[in-house]
Amino acid sequence: MLKMTHLSKVYRTEVVETYALRDFNINVNEGEFVAVTGPSGSGKTTFLTIAGLLETFTGGQYHLDGVEVSNLNDNERSRIRNEKIGFIFQAFNLIPDLNVFDNVEVPLRYRGMKAAERKERIMNALERVGLASRAKHYPAELSGGQQQRVAIARALAGSPRLLLADEPTGNLDTQMARGVMELLEEIHREGATIVMVTHDPELAARAQRNVHIIDGQVVDLAEDPRFHHAVHAARGNAPA
Amino acid sequence: MLQIKPILAALKRHKAGTILIAMQIALTLAIVCNAIFIIHQRLDRVQRPTGMVESDLMTIQNRFVGTEESKAGPLVKADLQALRQLPGVQDAVALNSYPLRGGGWSTGVRTDPDAKNSKGHTTQYFGDEHTLPTLAVKLIAGRNFRADEIVEADPQAIPDPAVIIVSKALAEKMYPEGSALGKTIYIGDSKSPSTIVGIVERLQVPWNGTWSDTFYENSLIQPVQLTSAFTNYVIRTKPGQLADVLKAAPAALVKANRMRVIPSERGVRTFAQVREAAYKGDRGMAILMGVVCLVLLGITAAGIVGLTSFWVGQRRKQIGVRRALGATKHDILSYFLTENLLIGIAGVLIGAFLAVGMNLWLVTQFEMARLSAVYVVVGVIALLLLGQGATLAPAMRASRVSPVEATRSV
Amino acid sequence: MFAYYLQLGLRSLRKNPLLTLLMVLAIGCGVAASMTTYSVFRATSNNPIPQKSSQLFVPQIDNWGPDASQDNKGEPPNAMTYTDAINLMRDKRATRQTALFPAAVSIVPADPQMLPFRETSYAWYADAFAMFDIPFLYGHGWTADEDASHAAVAVIGKKLNEKLFNGANSVGRNINLNGRDYRIIGVANTWNPEPVFYDVINTNGFDDPIEVFMPFTRAVELQTTTNGNNNCSKDPGKGWDAWIGSECVWLGFWAELPSKEKADAYRQYLNGYAAEQQRSGRFRWAPNTRLRNVTEWLEYQKVVPQEAKVSLLVSLGFLLICLVNTVGLLLAKFMKRSSEIGVRRALGAPRKEIYLQFLIEAAAIGLAGGVVGLILTGLGVMGISLVFEPDIAKLATLDVSLVLLTMLLAVLSTVLAAFYPTWRAAQVQPAWQLKSN
Repeated sequence: MLKMTHLSKVYRTEVVETYALRDFNINVNEGEFVAVTGPSGSGKTTFLTIAGLLETFTGGQYHLDGVEVSNLNDNERSRIRNEKIGFIFQAFNLIPDLNVFDNVEVPLRYRGMKAAERKERIMNALERVGLASRAKHYPAELSGGQQQRVAIARALAGSPRLLLADEPTGNLDTQMARGVMELLEEIHREGATIVMVTHDPELAARAQRNVHIIDGQVVDLAEDPRFHHAVHAARGNAPA
Repeated sequence: MLQIKPILAALKRHKAGTILIAMQIALTLAIVCNAIFIIHQRLDRVQRPTGMVESDLMTIQNRFVGTEESKAGPLVKADLQALRQLPGVQDAVALNSYPLRGGGWSTGVRTDPDAKNSKGHTTQYFGDEHTLPTLAVKLIAGRNFRADEIVEADPQAIPDPAVIIVSKALAEKMYPEGSALGKTIYIGDSKSPSTIVGIVERLQVPWNGTWSDTFYENSLIQPVQLTSAFTNYVIRTKPGQLADVLKAAPAALVKANRMRVIPSERGVRTFAQVREAAYKGDRGMAILMGVVCLVLLGITAAGIVGLTSFWVGQRRKQIGVRRALGATKHDILSYFLTENLLIGIAGVLIGAFLAVGMNLWLVTQFEMARLSAVYVVVGVIALLLLGQGATLAPAMRASRVSPVEATRSV
Repeated sequence: MFAYYLQLGLRSLRKNPLLTLLMVLAIGCGVAASMTTYSVFRATSNNPIPQKSSQLFVPQIDNWGPDASQDNKGEPPNAMTYTDAINLMRDKRATRQTALFPAAVSIVPADPQMLPFRETSYAWYADAFAMFDIPFLYGHGWTADEDASHAAVAVIGKKLNEKLFNGANSVGRNINLNGRDYRIIGVANTWNPEPVFYDVINTNGFDDPIEVFMPFTRAVELQTTTNGNNNCSKDPGKGWDAWIGSECVWLGFWAELPSKEKADAYRQYLNGYAAEQQRSGRFRWAPNTRLRNVTEWLEYQKVVPQEAKVSLLVSLGFLLICLVNTVGLLLAKFMKRSSEIGVRRALGAPRKEIYLQFLIEAAAIGLAGGVVGLILTGLGVMGISLVFEPDIAKLATLDVSLVLLTMLLAVLSTVLAAFYPTWRAAQVQPAWQLKSN
């Protein structure tokens, strides 16, 4: 589904070159639920923006659903984002001027879908996140958890093959976070591929697989005892 | 506390907005300077005195019908007699033209009959001894015409007058070195001299366009009663009786002789109406330019308010941080005011060049004078003040940003 | 998508009514000022006789010599002497030709209750009716024979016919001009070229339509004076005959020359004529002649008033400032929404869609500005008589084309102003929002 090989990303300023990602390799299979962890500044968000085609990369290859994306132009990248990828942001990123219904509608609009089909999909998606009754509300009238569920509905409405989540519970309290997490797990069970960036070991533990990034490179978890330990502690079966 | 360097650094990051405001200030300055200059010029023109006492004065435009063009002398005489006998009338005169009428006669004049070129240009008024009292122009030297000096003449065969009355402006033009009274001048290419017997303080020409600007107070009066079928009666009424005579005079003329045309429009006018019609364009242009200036300044001010508000909104967090780090409200206020001042100065510098350039261009295209530097200086100050005033409200809002903003995420 | 963007645009505009109002007013004012002054400029720079403007010519002959013409950039006098006009009429070198002048005549009504009155009256030759394409309601113009016989005939205008004969066919009836009877042989339909190209010298280009046409030959025989200008370089001497024979210029002259060859030939003829006058001793200088067609003549005579040009220029400058202002405000407005743009881009909106969305929003502002501009233009056109002579002011009207032009200018200029802000908006990177704060 998602395959990066020897990928690198360099930020250049007048003074220095900074490698955000260096010789970065990852392979996420169809239907997987992968958690990406790492300390802040390690490059996990860069990885996610590149994975979501929000940014270009400097070197290496990236195959998304079998397509090499480095040569795609802006329009093609937009189309792939629109059709194949769903985004869930830490800050929700709902458009404050639009109500819940209209927010969920945004990606469908760019797909040139008929009004009836749009409506059906929107209501289905809202149904799934339990907010169908709030369709006419504006983001400001909703709690953080509800807003994030709208954002998830927006990501789901387009039936994406790949769901990218950036600290989806980062701005939420524990209870709301749990609800959002359960929703993600449910979506995963239904067949979506999910890549989630988090620094919360407990959340990471609920994913099928963990990828740890340090200094812009994927680190083999087995070779990092600290993390190994933390994960097992979270799962409640720490090695003796 | 005027830390210009950090402000310049900040402006570099808002290039587009900075350039737009500076451009707007520059263009506004260029247009406002030139517009106010035009207004001033026009108003100066409007305020020119005719030299006459303009109250209680009226005119009737008359053309006799069925009479030979140059044989209307007796009819004009009869009309004048009828008019002068009307109860409300103080005096009346038949002239070829009068100040601000728009059309009239003009000629070159010489002091030396053999000179190749004329020494001055002047308008010619033809009238009898009632001309000075009727127009109520001020005689400052010499005398009025005597009744026996008046000759009747066909407009196509006017004899060279022995005596004439000139305006002070013409007298000084012809004899700059001293009193022209008693001296002679030659009208047109005539070889026979006319002696100046009287000088009036001021008498404007019939025209008010730019083409007559070089001689707009050069007038001479010839003691001639034209026998032309077309004539302008100028009537001075007794004080306060203008309204009555305005009706009575044309009625009396028609009663005396029906075979005449007094146009329904502009045929009978008070001098106030003559003045208004003459300066309509100038006054209108001044009003138009005034409105344009006001709206322009308003729009520019509003534009500055709008963009500064946007910047303030964009920088709330930054302002909060500054406040948290100890900046006073006054510091924030002066930051934004200084920022606007810097942009304003850039704008007015460009604008001053534009204003002068625009004026130079207008001078080549139209009959217009050079812009005086005073207008540019005043415009520069006005626009800088306008900018500061417009920045004040958003800057005040910025100064009220709480230091707490620093801790909030976006 | 258009409806969607329009809806989004209107929503965004409603959200910040003050800013929106400011932009709409700025565009409205700028457009209104431009269109009001343009309406005058359009009227004064109009081609009054488009079908013939390149075939009708004004010949000029320098009968005053270099001393006089040096004050006028070497140009010959603007009008013609009687001598030259008659000679040109006699030579008949153009397809059609006429001398003309505004005749000082008054109409004496048959009804003794009615007072004499004046209407715009011109004396010219028979050819003029065909040259100027004058339409007839009844009858026709007179013929060359009637010119030759100084016939007492006249053509009157529609308005005068209504005034004197209640609009009935008055051909064959009499009209009294200056106390003499003339037989009416035609009633002209409304003929109101703007500017009045046929006599720019005496009207500055704007006057009421002609209501009385009389034969030039008859008018001169009766010593009818001109109602227009008479310019003399020196004293003409005393009396009518002296004046007629003098070097005073007071006549207009038109020649119809339907092809370039004819015009060139006429130019040669004029120079030949001037050379002949030089040989005969009348001119003591080399031939100096001009031949200008309608368009060139109006241009040379500066028929468009200075006020019209200056105010149009100032208004255009005004519009430019309003647009700069709009660019700034739109930039602020659009950039304020960069987070929305970032999200839209992340959700798959291609750049072109962002362009479309914001340009449509701008067009909506332009449309509103156009409506405000239209109202203000209406007011401006009503108030135009403050600035311009009544003859000119009445030409400035808010017609369909001006309405369309106002709306078009408003929308186009706003969209143009929106290009830079929109470009900036479309540059917003989709990744931007994802980066942690």
